Amino acid sequence: MEVLQLIVNGLMAGTILAVPAIGLTAIFAVLRFTNFALASHMTIGAFAGFVANVTFGLPAVASLAFAFLIAGLVGVISDELVLKPFRRSGFITTAIGSIALTIALENLVRFIFGNQLRGYDLPIQRDWSFSGIRVSPQQVENFVVAVIVMAMLFAFLAFTRTGKSMRAVADNPMLAAIKGINANVVARLVSFVAMGLAGLGGMLIGLDTTIDPLIGFKTILQIFAAAVVGGLGSIPGAVVGALVVGVGEELSLLVLSPAYRTAVGFIAILIVLTFRPRGILGQRAY
Amino acid sequence: MLKTTRRKVLKGAAALATTAALPKGAYAQGEPIKIGILTPLTGAGGNDGPRMLKAMTAVFEEVNKQGGVLGRKIETVVEDDQTNPEAAVRAARKLIEVNKVPMILGTWASAVTAAVAPVCWESKTFLMTVSGADSITLLPHQGFLIRTQPTSKLQATAHGEFLWAQGGRKVAIIGIQAPFAMANKEHLEATLKPKGGEIVSHIIYEKDKPTYRSEIDQMMRGKPDYIYTNGYAPDTVVLLRDMFRAGINLPKFAQSYAVPQPTLDTIPAEVSANVFTGQPSADIESPAYKLAAARIGEKEPDGYVSQATDWASLAVLTIAKAKAVSGVAMKDNVRKICQGSGQKVYSAVEGLKVLAEGKEINYEGASGPCDFTDIGDILGCRFRYMHVVKGKLEFLKLV
Amino acid sequence: MEHYLVAMGVTAGIYAMMALGMNVIWGMAGLINLGLVGFFAIGAYTSGLLTLKLGWPIPLGILAGMAAASVSGVLVAMITVRLRGDYLAIVTLGFAETMRVVMSNELWIANGTDGLSGIPGPFRQALGPHLFNLQFLGIVVAVTVILFFLVERLVHSPFGRVLRGIRDDEQIVAVAGKNVVMFKVKAFAFGTAALGLAGALYGHFTSFIAPDLFAPLLTLYVKLSLLAGGLGNSIGAVVGAVLVVFFLESTRFIIPWVPGISAVQGAALRELLIAIALLVVLRFYARGLVPERIAQPQLPSTPAQASLVIGKST
Repeated sequence: MEVLQLIVNGLMAGTILAVPAIGLTAIFAVLRFTNFALASHMTIGAFAGFVANVTFGLPAVASLAFAFLIAGLVGVISDELVLKPFRRSGFITTAIGSIALTIALENLVRFIFGNQLRGYDLPIQRDWSFSGIRVSPQQVENFVVAVIVMAMLFAFLAFTRTGKSMRAVADNPMLAAIKGINANVVARLVSFVAMGLAGLGGMLIGLDTTIDPLIGFKTILQIFAAAVVGGLGSIPGAVVGALVVGVGEELSLLVLSPAYRTAVGFIAILIVLTFRPRGILGQRAY
Repeated sequence: MLKTTRRKVLKGAAALATTAALPKGAYAQGEPIKIGILTPLTGAGGNDGPRMLKAMTAVFEEVNKQGGVLGRKIETVVEDDQTNPEAAVRAARKLIEVNKVPMILGTWASAVTAAVAPVCWESKTFLMTVSGADSITLLPHQGFLIRTQPTSKLQATAHGEFLWAQGGRKVAIIGIQAPFAMANKEHLEATLKPKGGEIVSHIIYEKDKPTYRSEIDQMMRGKPDYIYTNGYAPDTVVLLRDMFRAGINLPKFAQSYAVPQPTLDTIPAEVSANVFTGQPSADIESPAYKLAAARIGEKEPDGYVSQATDWASLAVLTIAKAKAVSGVAMKDNVRKICQGSGQKVYSAVEGLKVLAEGKEINYEGASGPCDFTDIGDILGCRFRYMHVVKGKLEFLKLV
Repeated sequence: MEHYLVAMGVTAGIYAMMALGMNVIWGMAGLINLGLVGFFAIGAYTSGLLTLKLGWPIPLGILAGMAAASVSGVLVAMITVRLRGDYLAIVTLGFAETMRVVMSNELWIANGTDGLSGIPGPFRQALGPHLFNLQFLGIVVAVTVILFFLVERLVHSPFGRVLRGIRDDEQIVAVAGKNVVMFKVKAFAFGTAALGLAGALYGHFTSFIAPDLFAPLLTLYVKLSLLAGGLGNSIGAVVGAVLVVFFLESTRFIIPWVPGISAVQGAALRELLIAIALLVVLRFYARGLVPERIAQPQLPSTPAQASLVIGKST
């Protein structure tokens, strides 16, 4: 019973991680670098959602859409202005540059909104109980939002022309270039979608916790871990990785103090990578 | 957002130096006294630092309005400790070596205080802090440090008495991984056990996690009738939300700084139902707390705000008493104005007036009587308990 | 002011040592170690505990700190040797975080989150704070210079050439008959020893270490030092470290002149300025302020080149 509850809790936590983890892995697939600026875009999404929900009084779903849109737009602009020129210098420089970018954006949010904790103006519900296993309606909603978004992304990548060209660039940039796919357009698109997902993920986390400028920074390591465990560059991998990290952390409570959660998460990563050096579903070397 | 800024303080003080100070005559024109404030403005403490800064600034402004101290106005130099010991040490060195401040007020994280303290005592700079780790005052600080936060023993013993009086017999502790975690548990247990109560579960959780559902389930396995939380605002809010979802209606105790009114305003009222908070306090008849509340325009300020108020007041009064501005003068004179048989005063401005009459004073603060031991801990204090009713803090009792 | 500059000089020196160590692992061998604070912590705790609890002489404690960091570096390298790129990054990052969590929870090792206070410094009592800092600046500069020349010798040695070969194309080096794994492990051993040295010196300088000290922030500062100065280049590493400390500190003096902002806004603006300054340096000196002087053959099929292709094709 206890184990079952832990697994349910882990799946709930993992689904929320999956949304931004997909963003991280999508950028990696197409642009070939780990974009740590994801953290600040989660913060931006959380605050955009706050403005939509509390300042403009929009309902939750509309606020989530707003969070996606704003974070996505900031993602395109920051990529175009800051990160794109770095990509010529290699993926390490770009990744480190993205950390500097995330500090800049986080502090821009802090400058505008301050540090004080905030919360969305949404009601809170008690858990549902299914023969002793408790499930939170809010987290089910988050779960549903996450699953819908993931399904939309899959459909987009599998069935639309643009989606196909994104995959083409991810699979083989040289071949895609020869085929006349405009890599710049694809780069902007992937930045928009990925950072939009980060913003959405930021707001989903904010719904459960509090909103402050550190909201993205607090979870970025777990998200990075999820993407790596699943296999960087693989979108289904990001989902699997997020669930593995989520469930793994919860199950660790069976044997260790909760104060060791993070450490256990990393040890799990090490074990996965020992057997599958490119992550569970990762096919690429990088 | 903070309304008072360094710049505004400066401007206000400058205006005062030319107007209000004029009748005081010749000696009102001295160089301003620089006081260093090192508090978290970014990082994990970023939610608490600005509140403490606001409280300190309010006291200094009030003093400057009355003509300052020793005929000189107070000027604050604010640095951000980034809630990081390495960054905090660099900031402290700048305050000490460049701004030549005689004292530093406002460190929050215990690791930051322990890192900054050696820099302070080696350069004879006085340090006032809110950090809770018992090890802080045991450092060889030669008197250059005082802490207004009660020790784990003082706090947990008082909290234990409160829980017992509230009917807590089987208490569950759920606290953040922090230096005070273990000591708090021991003292709480030592208080409850002889009465027949017990600690039924003790969970230490990691900071920064988006949910503590499983930790709460683990805690509930002990079948507690009272929950004692011991964390900071961001994680306490997550705890309260998850406990509400889990349908736990038990009474919950929290540190006042973990659920200050501004934070309560951001969560649904039903989540904070049945929450009790405690903070160090002076006697019931002491107006210092009400004065602090009025100064910053808040009904029930939390423990950090009242302690910050007391640092600023102690700083001003010690300077006035010592008639000198230095870390050594602070160390040698601070106990002369805050304890003993002098006339009781409840604010810096009031104390300055009494001192000017040539009388001895005994400052009674917003966070307690402010009487310090040789190692810089408070001797004792009362505790002010509050009850959250419909999302608002209501005064419950003072013990 | 001069006392402040001396203390910041020590900080810059310690950053420079870390950057030099990282230069071997990352700049030369191309291995991404995001866990550098973990090794810094091992050096600091080993030397701190040995000198404080067992009364070892400080130089011996520092050597032990270097050795402990180096041994753990070798262990981490052996476990992760099959991993590349970002996978190595997450494992090393995880190593550092795990170190921090263990040191926070296991009170018996070194007081947990309370930290370790009163770590001895050479002649701390006799010299007084100002002379002590000045003396320490001397020590740090001397150690940095020695480390600098050691790394320089390494760069121009056959060993260094193989490392850069691994960075640029591991397979070619393997085909050439070199034991790639052994070279990677050696690079880690040397680099992490330098990180341990920096950690040990930091502990003896400030007299206090705690798990909170070893937050990822420090890793970032050192990474940025190395990138800003020029990856793979010893002078660049030192220049970058000085530059980063300069950015961190000089911004303090600018903020009070900005009118009409609150203290929190000032703090946010300061961090914003630091980040922007670093981004500008990275942007306009893509190979660092002091580029690596060794001629680089252009090789295809590394990720850097892959994104270059995207850039060119449009």
